[in-house]
Amino acid sequence: MTDTHHTLLSIRNLSTHFYTEQGLVKAVQDVSFDIPAGRTLAVVGESGCGKSVTALSVMRLIPWPPGKIVAGQILFEGEPLLDASENRMREIRGNDIAMIFQEPMTSLNPVFTVGNQIVEAVKLHQKKSGDEARAIAVEVMRKVGIADPQRRVDEYPHQMSGGMRQRVMIAMALCCDPKLLIADEPTTALDVTIQAQILELLRDLQKKRNMSIMLITHDLGVVAENADDVVVMYASRIAETATAQQLFEKPLHPYTKGLLKSLPRLGEKKERLDVIGGNVPSPLNFPAGCKFHPRCPIGCNDKRCQTDEPPLKEMVAGHCVACWYAGQDIEKSKDALKHNE
Amino acid sequence: MPSNIMSETKKHLVEVKDLKTHFPIKAGVLSRTVGHVKAVDGVSFTIEAGKTLGLVGESGCGKTTVGRTLIRLIPPTAGAFTFEGEDIFVASTGRMKAIRRDIQMMFQDPYGSLNPRMTVETIVGEALGVHRISTGNKRRDRVVDLLKKVGLSPEHLNRYPHEFSGGQRQRIGIARALALDPKFIICDEPVSALDVSIQSQIINLMQDLQSQLNLTYLFIAHDLAVVEHISDWVAVMYLGRIVEYASREELYANPKHPYTRALLSAIPEPDPTRRKPRILLAGEVPSPSNPPSGCPFHPRCPLAEEQCRHQIQALLPKGDSDQHVAACWKVK
Amino acid sequence: MTDSIQTTKNLQKPIKGRSLWIDAIGRLRKRKLAMICFGIILFYVFIACYVQVAEWTGSSWPTNWDESTGQKYESPNAQNIFGTDIFGYSILRKVLYGTKISLQVAFFASILSILIGVPMGAAAGYFGGFIDDVIVWIYSTLSSIPYILLILAFALVLKDKTPFGFKLAGATTVYLAIGLTSWVGICRLIRGEILKRKESEYVLAARAMGCSGGRIIFKHLLPNTFHIVIITFSLRFMSFIHAEVILSFLGLGEKDKPSWGAMIDSARLDLPKGYWWEMTAATLAILIISLALNIFGDALRDCLDPKLRTD
Repeated sequence: MTDTHHTLLSIRNLSTHFYTEQGLVKAVQDVSFDIPAGRTLAVVGESGCGKSVTALSVMRLIPWPPGKIVAGQILFEGEPLLDASENRMREIRGNDIAMIFQEPMTSLNPVFTVGNQIVEAVKLHQKKSGDEARAIAVEVMRKVGIADPQRRVDEYPHQMSGGMRQRVMIAMALCCDPKLLIADEPTTALDVTIQAQILELLRDLQKKRNMSIMLITHDLGVVAENADDVVVMYASRIAETATAQQLFEKPLHPYTKGLLKSLPRLGEKKERLDVIGGNVPSPLNFPAGCKFHPRCPIGCNDKRCQTDEPPLKEMVAGHCVACWYAGQDIEKSKDALKHNE
Repeated sequence: MPSNIMSETKKHLVEVKDLKTHFPIKAGVLSRTVGHVKAVDGVSFTIEAGKTLGLVGESGCGKTTVGRTLIRLIPPTAGAFTFEGEDIFVASTGRMKAIRRDIQMMFQDPYGSLNPRMTVETIVGEALGVHRISTGNKRRDRVVDLLKKVGLSPEHLNRYPHEFSGGQRQRIGIARALALDPKFIICDEPVSALDVSIQSQIINLMQDLQSQLNLTYLFIAHDLAVVEHISDWVAVMYLGRIVEYASREELYANPKHPYTRALLSAIPEPDPTRRKPRILLAGEVPSPSNPPSGCPFHPRCPLAEEQCRHQIQALLPKGDSDQHVAACWKVK
Repeated sequence: MTDSIQTTKNLQKPIKGRSLWIDAIGRLRKRKLAMICFGIILFYVFIACYVQVAEWTGSSWPTNWDESTGQKYESPNAQNIFGTDIFGYSILRKVLYGTKISLQVAFFASILSILIGVPMGAAAGYFGGFIDDVIVWIYSTLSSIPYILLILAFALVLKDKTPFGFKLAGATTVYLAIGLTSWVGICRLIRGEILKRKESEYVLAARAMGCSGGRIIFKHLLPNTFHIVIITFSLRFMSFIHAEVILSFLGLGEKDKPSWGAMIDSARLDLPKGYWWEMTAATLAILIISLALNIFGDALRDCLDPKLRTD
């Protein structure tokens, strides 16, 4: 536990573009963040903000055409992934970095048993005989909380429920002991009670294996429950990065603030919800300047916000925000906090 | 005249009694019916005019089927739905067409619920044509009014659904539902497919429209926080049945049924300082084609006892209020 | 919009929307190869129309294909660029005239198969139950018979019949035979598409609104399957041209007028003697339009099918 917080994955100035028939989509622009070993970093944002593309860029799974990583560097334990050969990447995927997806129905092959698919994953990365691999499969299925794994290892995906399938996906991801697990909306397709089970499982596995998790989600509740660090993305760029504690206590970016205020919360009596006006911008047509300015109470009237892209500035240790007015807002929110107390 | 009816039916605009919707399971070459999926199995509730009933539950609990049965998209197996004192399930086709003007529906998927080859004007104004209410310029004026009401502008008239964002499409869907001046709107997960920052806009819009137009909502959703915000009464469904039914304040302050409690505790809260004790439910929702005997919740229930395995308790008053009912042997 | 009591709210002029069709055409226009192919198809259509008009107005060229323009079996030269056949007829004129016959047959056969296939498919898909069973039974039976045999049988039966006092002969027999047998494919496609779309939320919304079945089929379902009709039309067009060629080759098609199939039939005996030009001209004419239709049809599918749309 002495050195748990060294950086495992470091993303520097990543930009990924898609050249579509409708035009150039700058899906990810100038994104930088670090994932420390043994911690969970959540990437939050709405549809089209580039969070999934960031994850796929780390895995180098951006399909060309139409997508391409146009700039930046991704360092995994110091190794530059964007310069690695395709063979080396194949070794890294699964062995060092594993990924699970939102849709557990379509990420499993329906014509093979789940055991078959886990065994396949084990054999791909480790030199194991069939029986050994099967034993590993059963073991890893037990670890992800599937009851009676001996029997279920021979079931087909369609015989399982959504939650079970997501557990199988996690089992497959874990069978080679990855150092980093990228979970792309792992619970979005699941019911709340099942979501609670899966989130609990991820927390538990992380504690036991000291693995890093990059959790991609749109649900701030999930972030609050599972994340240590948070990256808030809006329209292809990072709006704010902070520890979970800092972010929920004192959000600095107007977007994050608005979002947290607009959420209906249990046990909170409000006549009307607070609202962020406007629409989520389409990736084909991001606004100029600060991407949030058309929806921002300050930015919509401010010349600088409309023309200049604000850089990501560190306001407090570990808390960065990309907003021209971030400094002033700290004072205001401090005042407001005092008033509330 | 509407105010007259209003005062008479102020009590309950909507009364649903013992609603059952079963789907046959067919098998074999001759498609013989070998069993039934009891998607909805004895659901009763009432809604006062101008109020909102939230119907919550997880996927497969039958909440969507309730909504679709009420608007007769799916034929009911048994039960009665009384709307303004008239039983809708026995209404003739002609009468039903007239009744449809008063009952409308909002759908979940802002992408799938609008015909991609129609303009906004046609989509919103279609009902006016179908019910022969207005044509030509008069219809267009009405559509413009509706668009303004839901926060869209008249310049959107000739555009197509794919030119709008998710939130705007949902607004178009709301305008369509309002075209006939309905009294009762069945909202099937109207915000769950929307981006987080858009959800609150749509919820506020729905509330504004409710107070302006005196609408009555059946709000079907899985998000308990949203339901708490918008509802006056809440019914929790599990496997085709209502397991708990109470006023909003009662249900959230004082949940009785173990399923409601687990559900409430499972919601991740956007506040790390408010982590609450979590009741983790084991297992998953059983299939409604083969529900467990007795109380349908007993295989996952932390309190289950012998009695629960054999018998279902009817919805009985729990706690101090006789308005707060739940179906559980173990809670008083 | 000339109403004098124009309400103020209409003063804001609505922006013209971009329908999916306009979108698709825009995408199609960006594909150079597809546009070249479309040009080739238009050229063929132009020739066919020109020949038809020439026939109606009694203009001589190229309907005077049955006038010798030289010696028999002249190889391609300046006067007869595709050469001449056994009677000294110009092969160029025969090919041009054959274009009219082929396109006419393929066009009417396509229209006929759509007119039968689309309503049947829509009815089967939407109403289900007994109607579905009957229609599926009919097309399963039809499609279990080998296609060419079926067309042959229909062509033989229809030949020289006079239903409603209208004598069936030549090209008419051919496109009736093809049309009546080949609606199965489009019917099956439309049925599947309607089955899938009838559960979509916009159709549910229309039903909840009180729309009648007819309105739902014609206003909501068919416009959303129409792109499939167009794609099938362009892809099947080619196979109908081939069918006409085969029927003519087998002697069931146009007898007294030159069609591509008839030309191949007569050229087949000339080929061993070294007179290759008639065969070449006819096959080239078929090859070029087939290729063009195929490439254009594929491009159409890519551009029209909303499944491939990413928005």
